[in-house]
Amino acid sequence: MKNLTKIISVIITSVFLLASFSTGAFAGKKILFSIKGPGSGNPFWASVEKGAKEEAAKLGVDLVLVAPPQEGDVQAQINQVEDQLAKGVDAIALAPGDPNAFAPIVDDAIKSGVPVVFVDTKGINEGVTFIGTNNMNGAELAAKFICDKTPKGSDVAILTGIESQSTALLRRDGAIKGFKNCGLNIVATQTAEWDTAKGRSVTESIILKNPNIKAIFASNDNMGLGAMQALKDADMNDVVVVGFDATPDAATSILKGEMTATIAQFSYNMGAYGVKYALELANGGSIDPNIDTGTQLVTKDNANDFK
Amino acid sequence: MEDKEKKIESLHLKLIPYFEKYGILLLLVLMILVMHILQPDVFLSWRNVTNVFKQISWQSMLALGVFMVIVTAGIDLSVGSIMMLSLMILAVVAKAGAPWFIVVLTPLIAGFLCGLFNGLGITLLRMPHPFIMTLGTLYIFRGAGNLISGGTPISGFTDEVRYLGHGRIDLQWLGLEKSQYLPVSLVLIAIVYIIFWIFLNKSKTGKWIYAIGGNPNAARASGINVNKILIIVYSLCGFLSGIGALILAGRTDSGYPNAGLQSELDAIAACIIGGASFFGGRGTVLGVFAGVMIMGILRNGLNLMDVSSFWQQVLIGSIIVLAVYIDVLRRDIGTRK
Repeated sequence: MKNLTKIISVIITSVFLLASFSTGAFAGKKILFSIKGPGSGNPFWASVEKGAKEEAAKLGVDLVLVAPPQEGDVQAQINQVEDQLAKGVDAIALAPGDPNAFAPIVDDAIKSGVPVVFVDTKGINEGVTFIGTNNMNGAELAAKFICDKTPKGSDVAILTGIESQSTALLRRDGAIKGFKNCGLNIVATQTAEWDTAKGRSVTESIILKNPNIKAIFASNDNMGLGAMQALKDADMNDVVVVGFDATPDAATSILKGEMTATIAQFSYNMGAYGVKYALELANGGSIDPNIDTGTQLVTKDNANDFK
Repeated sequence: MEDKEKKIESLHLKLIPYFEKYGILLLLVLMILVMHILQPDVFLSWRNVTNVFKQISWQSMLALGVFMVIVTAGIDLSVGSIMMLSLMILAVVAKAGAPWFIVVLTPLIAGFLCGLFNGLGITLLRMPHPFIMTLGTLYIFRGAGNLISGGTPISGFTDEVRYLGHGRIDLQWLGLEKSQYLPVSLVLIAIVYIIFWIFLNKSKTGKWIYAIGGNPNAARASGINVNKILIIVYSLCGFLSGIGALILAGRTDSGYPNAGLQSELDAIAACIIGGASFFGGRGTVLGVFAGVMIMGILRNGLNLMDVSSFWQQVLIGSIIVLAVYIDVLRRDIGTRK
């Protein structure tokens, strides 16, 4: 019994200790920023986080930034948003892990007077502003770059992300549009679910079937790096690989002469704009339905900036 | 002197069964108190309490199913995948334009059949352990779910289909505000848990389920058809996962490929926290409910305190170890002298 009381007191103290981690109250508007995955695991989200925090400090916003333990844990993300709504926030900037699953929560929030903006991934709720990369334009930019680097009519392949996400579909469609416009021959369009290991294994089977392939567009850098590994293994070092996101790993790979290029999203802007426009809505203002955070081609010339 | 000592000891002995039965509730009450002290304005607010119940609603179904399996000294790793497959079948049937009463039945039937498949596999194929069969079906069912849906989410169900997961029981006639509604999922949890409490404690089959887990050879020797009971248990576990799918369909208005990912582990954790033993034959329905609530409240409370989700993982793991350690101590007290 003595042990038991000891244990219970340990629990209580540890919970109190944890509570002291939580932040104090600000006077300004309280904005919830819910991102899809933890910043510490992914430089993209880390930079969104940085942008959001710095903008919040600048504008005097009380920012609550939450992320599920791993990217794709939709239920955990939904719970986080619900719990924060119960606690009370003035506006939400949301990067939904699954737009369909989030739709009812977004509707409820708006109905209860809490405005929402989507960041990075567009939701399906109508009339909600989307702040993020124009993914279609970005992928088209990548496709155009590949067109310039390869002879007309060459075989090319596309690695897509999780195809339940609009980001993945837009990048795929942008690449297809770009390739078709300049007469390249798309021999494969396959998903590798944003994952490096899957990017490698999918590429391995693609190049086995299509040994004459001249270029691969990977819808994110992780898959692009996986594709690169597969090509290296097969001694196909002259295949052009273009990724998306401009992660530090991809930048390093480009500088080493492995990957050819990548598309930079301005993820910092997503964090900053998310806070800025959510605050504007919280103050009763109105904003554009689409806010582009921009894209840019990253090659050997400018990859140093992204390391 | 000796008399007094004896008295205290006998008092201890008398308290043990209560402690055994309700000890886990003590931990739950303690957690609620701590969370209330830390978040006095929010934690016990109507909205947050209903949030907790909405959030645990589908997990509580999976946990109850896994609990019955654990009582038989088995394990079901496939519940998350059964739920996902049932959800996808529901979504496909709904999209095909079937009337709501058919749509509502499909996940229940699908879940039941998946469970039956597990049960038949374990008994007929004489798998060395249910772990293997259900590990296999964990992949099979999720793959099948992706096959029938093409791996993309299917959204948009009618209000009738969404009723169990999303419905609200208006309490304005009690003089409460409109925002103070009762989620239908809460009522559903209560009903399902009461039914299964009666089933496990009062029916002959229920008692056999405990007997199988406690001592399978003795159960066999006393004429219980062990295989039949196992098939029933796994089928019911699948059925409960099907109910989970129906709730989730209402909650998210979407059949999505990531549904129920790793939720089998949450379900097992809830059972263990609630006092079920991997060696079978032990545990109560009330304990499972407490286990589910403890996990739900922990996640909810930590969210409210803006604690990072990495800390949440650490804490939930710690609670599992702690709860089982308390259980070990509890049995030490019980077996002393």
